[in-house]
Amino acid sequence: MKISAKKIWILGILVVLGLIIYFPGHKLARAHVNYRTGVEDHPLLCLDCHLYIQSESPITKMINEDYYSPINMAVSKDGSRLYVVAQEGNALITVDTEQNKVIGKIGVGLLPHSVVLSYDGQKAYVSNQWSDNVSVIDLAASEVVDTLQTANGPSGLAISADGKMLYAVNTYSSNVSVIDLQTGEEQKRLDVGNNPTGIQLSPEKKLLFVTSRRANIAPYGEPVRTDMTLINDSSARNSGFRTLESAHMAENVAFTPTGDLAIVTLMRPKNLVPSIQVERGFMMNHGIGIFEQKQNGRIIQLMLDEPNAYYADPFDVIITPDGKKAFVSHAGVDCISVLDMDSIRALINSSTPETLKTYENNLGVSSRFVIKRIPTGANPKGLALSPDGKKLYVAEQLQDRISVISTENLEILTTIDLGGPEKITVSRQGRRLFANAGHTFQNQYSCYTCHPDYHEDGLVYNMASKDMGRNLTNTQSLRDIGKTAPFKWNGKNQTVFKQDGIRFSTVLTRTEQFSYPDLDAIASFIMTGIQYPPNLQHNPTGELTEAQLRGKEIFERSVDNSGKEIPVGNRCITCHPAPYYTNKMLRDVGTLAATDDSIRFDTPHLNNIYASAPYLHDGRAATLEEIWTKYSPYDKHGVANDLSKIELNEMIEFLKTLSSPDYTESLKKEKHTENTSN
Amino acid sequence: MKQRSSISFLLIFFSISFTSLLLSSCGEKSMEGMMVFTQVAGKIQHQDLWKNNVPARIVAIDPTHPEVSVKVLTEGYYSAHSPEISWDGKSLLFTAMQKQNDAWQIYEMNLSNFKVRKVTSSGENYTNPVHLPNGRFVYGLLANPDSLNTGHPLFTCNPDGSDPKQITFTPNTYLALTVLNDGRVLALDKTSSAEKQQNILMIMRPDGTKAELFYQGSVGSNLVSSVSETTNGKIVFVESTENKSNITCISYNRPLHSRQNLTSEIKGDFQSVFSMPSGKLLVSYRSPEAKRYSVYEFDPETKTLGKAVYTDAEYDACEVAVVQNHERPKKLPSEVDFGVKSGLLLCQDINFLDPNFIKNSPVLQKAVALEIMGMDSSMGIVQVEKDGSFYLKVIADQPFQLRALDENGQVLNQPCEWMWMRPNERRGCVGCHEDHEQTPENRVPLAVKNLPVNVPVHIEKIIEKKISLE
Repeated sequence: MKISAKKIWILGILVVLGLIIYFPGHKLARAHVNYRTGVEDHPLLCLDCHLYIQSESPITKMINEDYYSPINMAVSKDGSRLYVVAQEGNALITVDTEQNKVIGKIGVGLLPHSVVLSYDGQKAYVSNQWSDNVSVIDLAASEVVDTLQTANGPSGLAISADGKMLYAVNTYSSNVSVIDLQTGEEQKRLDVGNNPTGIQLSPEKKLLFVTSRRANIAPYGEPVRTDMTLINDSSARNSGFRTLESAHMAENVAFTPTGDLAIVTLMRPKNLVPSIQVERGFMMNHGIGIFEQKQNGRIIQLMLDEPNAYYADPFDVIITPDGKKAFVSHAGVDCISVLDMDSIRALINSSTPETLKTYENNLGVSSRFVIKRIPTGANPKGLALSPDGKKLYVAEQLQDRISVISTENLEILTTIDLGGPEKITVSRQGRRLFANAGHTFQNQYSCYTCHPDYHEDGLVYNMASKDMGRNLTNTQSLRDIGKTAPFKWNGKNQTVFKQDGIRFSTVLTRTEQFSYPDLDAIASFIMTGIQYPPNLQHNPTGELTEAQLRGKEIFERSVDNSGKEIPVGNRCITCHPAPYYTNKMLRDVGTLAATDDSIRFDTPHLNNIYASAPYLHDGRAATLEEIWTKYSPYDKHGVANDLSKIELNEMIEFLKTLSSPDYTESLKKEKHTENTSN
Repeated sequence: MKQRSSISFLLIFFSISFTSLLLSSCGEKSMEGMMVFTQVAGKIQHQDLWKNNVPARIVAIDPTHPEVSVKVLTEGYYSAHSPEISWDGKSLLFTAMQKQNDAWQIYEMNLSNFKVRKVTSSGENYTNPVHLPNGRFVYGLLANPDSLNTGHPLFTCNPDGSDPKQITFTPNTYLALTVLNDGRVLALDKTSSAEKQQNILMIMRPDGTKAELFYQGSVGSNLVSSVSETTNGKIVFVESTENKSNITCISYNRPLHSRQNLTSEIKGDFQSVFSMPSGKLLVSYRSPEAKRYSVYEFDPETKTLGKAVYTDAEYDACEVAVVQNHERPKKLPSEVDFGVKSGLLLCQDINFLDPNFIKNSPVLQKAVALEIMGMDSSMGIVQVEKDGSFYLKVIADQPFQLRALDENGQVLNQPCEWMWMRPNERRGCVGCHEDHEQTPENRVPLAVKNLPVNVPVHIEKIIEKKISLE
């Protein structure tokens, strides 16, 4: 048992070396983590940064899971089958509603959104938002038998009263494709409101209502207005718009069985009021819009919130066949509100226009018609009813599960596991946190509320972090922002950890800050889990048109039209280099307003910029064109005043083609495969 | 041989360590599930026990063996009351008077070993201490308990009593009642004048910001007990009206319009109520036939009293609580910045009127200005914008009231309740006669297009530290 002196020496040297490395190493690691997080007590957990927020390492791919993420559903006529759109599983899942078991899965396009069944129940149509098409599924054979082309980003679907036409709502291109189901050809496209999603045919089979999520672009200070588009089914023509005042994010719509009322989910943002407090509903309210279907029918809005409890992110609405109850899913607070329709009718029929106007902003009125709040799993989205109206199905998107609720006793009868991974990864947990309002005072809003689809809501807010009425802030997209630090318009946050840390809770969520494990999870999701949609509208093949190519040359030019060299710092490409089209530096582009503090702005990334109107830090530019035609008179935002109208248009056409590096890469690969196979 | 002795040494070492660990844990008994309440020997004349000069003591019992397990926790004090148990069930705060006519002080007891620590030490009276989620305590400071003219503010302090910070700044008296799960402090506002007694509960963040009305009882009502939040989103307390005290239940979600009397059908009086995780309530109740308040279980669903859990012919039992570990309330971030001397107040429309108010006051004139009233004098008159908005920069931690003026400078209605702004606080209101459930209309108030008006208005500039943009 003798230990040689040599071994003792080696051991001693190793210990000393270890200590020499440990103490300064620990100090360096501490300093590094302090810088990254903006605090001094974040645990030194190397994996949180070096594993969970890396999107491209093979290990990251190994530790992540592929979830189904159910979003919308349809029930067969006899009620024996439930068809569930698995948004991230790129599939339509068939559930046996007697056994409450998954019995099949049919692969569809990318990021499917909605499903509608043909009147004979033989076919299902599934909109594929990232493929710009609709999968036609033969339900008996359980296979895709056709694919129908749409415009950009199809979501909600409806079939015409005669069963001959399919209406596909194109969310990204803000129109509706009218597709002949005999020929499979798109017959026409109807312009509808901004960023539409839901569509419903009225019970009398005359009108279709199409909801819009984003408000119409307007200068800051103008009222927030969102359109409901009406389509005449027999002529398949747009028959007008009805406006929801001071509301947006109208996701879905449902009609009462008699057709006297249409009910739409909505939110009432307070973006024009300085964001000085959350108390008393000063930031965001959630409710329904009611459209009376008669001559001079009123549009009424009622809040579903309560004075100390908010019901964030209403997504879907459905009404029982007897017209007695309506159900609204609240994706941000994991519950379903049950509304008594008779009470709603009594309320609106007995109220004067003045009183109804007050009710639009009243948090107490919900107590007169909300009869229950039913807790669900994470992130309830689409709703469906059994044909007899006795069972309500709830797609719990971030639980990978369907809840079945009795519409009589309003209790959960059972849940149906879709068979996704049981493990909740760090990124998935981060997504749950992102989509849940539990980290905001009284659940008033989630991150998703202002960043729907992990993008942005198209609104400008007065964040009032300093003085009220100053420093207006255009909401920024979170898509693929992982590699574009620093964050915020003023570039003050070097990482997402800092962005969502203690100051975030002090000025925005106004409740307890994220615990560090939660902060690490949400950072993991934001840094790795949010992708750009493929730019199928402006860059479908990776081949630029001639005009776009000319625009690219202008974007990359170093001399102006008079042959004079453009200073390096004033060329587009200097501040907006590929692949993210940002040099990640601060810059004064001459847009500082009198009401702004004297700061420079973080150069924004430009991929998928076509989908991020309005533009500039305070959203003053309604279009890309306006950045140069109205807000850069002295060429401070790149030299552009020498451009002709056509040249400017061409440059903008090029800007609209900018896409995620992953998408561009996939197009290249596709092209290469095509070439080799030819 | 050497190896064997090393092993023996290690075994002995670990045995000793394990035994001492075991013995040290035996010394710290868990109080989980024990019932704690105040026993009052004399007659309870006033709901504020600090106003009674009768001796009181805090005791603990095991509810499964109530008669044989009474343990006096505050032996040696002339009087002790207001027991408040931390959410982790490890510590008990209470107010006590060491000897008769001493000042009331705050004490903290470690419930594992019953060691008591004095938190405050001064000649002033401290009452109703409550644990804050950030580790500090909130309490009332009674500079002169006999004076009804002087307001008694709320303070917070560190667990050792250091760093006291005043958080209310009006002439009213406040008593801290509890911290709700959302992290806010619920306090009794004893504004009531002799003519108009009313139970008013105020809610505020632990730094004193965003103070607002939470609950208002009917005229003549009086809060008797502390307040307890249930696991199903209700808030219960004992409220007296017309010589009878009852258990009132309100909903957290809608406290101003959800009042429910749970015990209107039960004869007798209630003195305190505590919500248990099972959904049942523990109440101190005295039937018309009984002389003393005893502890009972109460079912809020069926509104029925269960059997008495503890009764004592010598003492009234009140201020009942149970030692239990429950979720910590939210730790709210603070916007208070002591480098800033003012707070910003925005009102969207001074002329906004709740339709119910219009119904009751058919003749209404538009306000064009408002007067800001200080404690002793007017702090100035400010014109409101065309849309009825006003934007004020008010010197922090000073009480003020607002009253609306018409174009002739005539007062349109009585001033609002006393308000204060904490340093760097930003606060908004919809209007002066708004329904408390009304949210603002989504429009830019004209007033924020200009700089805020300094209050008092004679101050031209408030020099404060530079706030950097978030």
